[in-house]
Amino acid sequence: MRRTTGGAIAVLAAAVLLTTALAERTPAQAKKLVYWTHWEQNPEFNRWYETKGTEFAKKNGYEVEVVTIPYQGYEAKYLAALMGKTGAPDFFNGIAHQWCGQYDFCDRMPPELEKVWSENLPKYMRAWGQWRGVTYGIPIEHGNFQQMYINADLFRKAGLDPDRPPKTLDDWLAAMKKLTVFDPKGEPTQVGFAIRHKGHPVGITDKFLPFAHAFGARMISPAQDRATGVANSPEMVAALRFFGDLVTKHKVASLAFGNPEDAFGQKRAAVIFRESWYFGWLKKNAPDVSFRVYALPCGTSCPGAGNLFPWSNLVSKASPNKHVAWDFLRFISNAKDDLEQHQLQGILPVWAVNLESSYVKSRPDYASTKEMLAQPVPPNYYHPKSNELATAFGEAVVGVLYGKGQPKALLDEAASRMDRILRE
Amino acid sequence: MGRWARLVLPRTYMDRQRRAGFLFVLPAVAYFTAVYFVPLVESLVGSFYRTLPGGASRFVGLRLYELVFTDSAFWNSVWNTVKLLALSVPATVVLALAVALGLDRLTLRWRSLWAAMYFVPFAVSLVAAALIWQWIYDPVYGVLNHALSLVGLRPQQWLQSLDEVLPSLALVNVWARLGFDTMIFLAALQAIPREYHEAAKIDGATARQRLRHVTLPLLNPHILMVCILELIFNFKIFDQVYATTQGGPAGASQTIIPLLYDTAFKYFRLGEASVMAVFVFAVLLAVTLVQWRIFRKPVEY
Repeated sequence: MRRTTGGAIAVLAAAVLLTTALAERTPAQAKKLVYWTHWEQNPEFNRWYETKGTEFAKKNGYEVEVVTIPYQGYEAKYLAALMGKTGAPDFFNGIAHQWCGQYDFCDRMPPELEKVWSENLPKYMRAWGQWRGVTYGIPIEHGNFQQMYINADLFRKAGLDPDRPPKTLDDWLAAMKKLTVFDPKGEPTQVGFAIRHKGHPVGITDKFLPFAHAFGARMISPAQDRATGVANSPEMVAALRFFGDLVTKHKVASLAFGNPEDAFGQKRAAVIFRESWYFGWLKKNAPDVSFRVYALPCGTSCPGAGNLFPWSNLVSKASPNKHVAWDFLRFISNAKDDLEQHQLQGILPVWAVNLESSYVKSRPDYASTKEMLAQPVPPNYYHPKSNELATAFGEAVVGVLYGKGQPKALLDEAASRMDRILRE
Repeated sequence: MGRWARLVLPRTYMDRQRRAGFLFVLPAVAYFTAVYFVPLVESLVGSFYRTLPGGASRFVGLRLYELVFTDSAFWNSVWNTVKLLALSVPATVVLALAVALGLDRLTLRWRSLWAAMYFVPFAVSLVAAALIWQWIYDPVYGVLNHALSLVGLRPQQWLQSLDEVLPSLALVNVWARLGFDTMIFLAALQAIPREYHEAAKIDGATARQRLRHVTLPLLNPHILMVCILELIFNFKIFDQVYATTQGGPAGASQTIIPLLYDTAFKYFRLGEASVMAVFVFAVLLAVTLVQWRIFRKPVEY
């Protein structure tokens, strides 16, 4: 027994030593800046950091390693890594009011870099990387607001002119009715509007907000301290009734269809509201769809360029390489790189000077982007609890779509929950 | 020299035996402590602290318990979990028992083949299985609605219906767990001495009487164990819900663990999530103890 025990201890000790040796070797040998992103839909954009990292390594000795985290549940991985510190990225794609506001994970941007970006970003994007007036991040996606993608062929087939898109919600609804096709049993085989009804309520809220803003409604008060009287205002109730009626009354949108992006790509839906990245996605995944991009239709107000997710590149405060990470971000902070990276993926660059480049001018969303940016800026909800607020609100939206209740009652309940979230 | 010191420096044969025993259980104890016990204690402690902006924590006593236990979304998720349990557990246990009884009558060769087939779903990743079922349930392209249309029935919304989503998820659970439970029952059936059945047969007992008075009483510990396992599995359901419905539509399939996950990692409320974890632990412990106390009967072959 003694010999056996001694042998077991020796094997255990050897295993521990080997593990320790391997663990020590791995990070020390590779001088790498680690970048985390959840932008699965933009692989070329992400890979560009590695390409540029090779160039950066010649000067600073650090290459860039990009880790793409699946979007579904990315928050859990980020949070575990950033709280645990070990295994955390040096810089990452995130939302400033969450990662820098709710938690203190972000390093403040060096002043001279902040100056570069504040001078070169379109005005409406400057708040994106900020929390309480302090700049932490570099916005990475211009055109991160929904626009109207229409299928030109389906428009023509329905007797509509794809070059004359509906400008008001009334005209838009009339067009949606013309674009919806039913089978003999009364089930739609093609719908006017590809509606988001599945998935997490945060995403559903995001897709409903342009309708809310077109009705002059907003989700929480401007001071971000209450929802009652705002999220359940008469304007919001009217907006949600309009949205729900698309499915339940007019049947121009269907819950039987899965992802709205797929439905549009499969020519089963004639219209979808999505951001500028969808242009690249369509080119790659549905190249036979002939589409145009227009500004969203207006109601009593125009929806404007709003979003729930102001993505920006943030540097981890706890990273031992945070100065190198800022050096790298400084290295790529110029108009040429900005254009190159975004063009690779087919998305819109962020430098103001690039918005008039030949690449941007040749895009189908050039005019619509300008038109939407010219509209009044819609409310923003950059609050540390934005996910939770949008979930409570989204439950009401999806509840109406699925006939769980009337808009007013569901919005009252949502507003009450949101107040509780804001109070806590 | 104290007991612990003698574990390090054994003096007698019995000391060495004790040390060997201690070393053998040490890895398991270390693993259990690191993976289960420490997180459990951390959850318990964390349920009394609120995370503040900036990452710091503040002791808030029972405030988070009050918040969670007065939240309708929490009780909605508990109710959904109970409904899912009620739909899944009895069906899985009864079906597994029926399949095991059937397999027990087959010859070894056929039994092995069928048992392997029933077991395959258990070996499939739950996320992958959930995604496959999502396609099966798809209202437009799904094979299930296609099958319904062949017999002239109307298509159903399955995972996209307030009323059908929980039964649909329960069906996935039954499919995924049937093989595992069947294997346990089959092994237990094989362990029952054949003489008991033969004696009952000679005494004139019918097949149904033998099942009721011989087989089921002898299977009682295994039925109890399977019920507890199924209860725990279904109470902790996460993968299927998260991969398919994400709690939707309109919260109709929001069960407690996905809500806990969202609370912790999407809403960054670690304290409230800890309260939910403590609740799950307490409920499972209580239900298991009650089941064990009421239904456990000693079995003698």
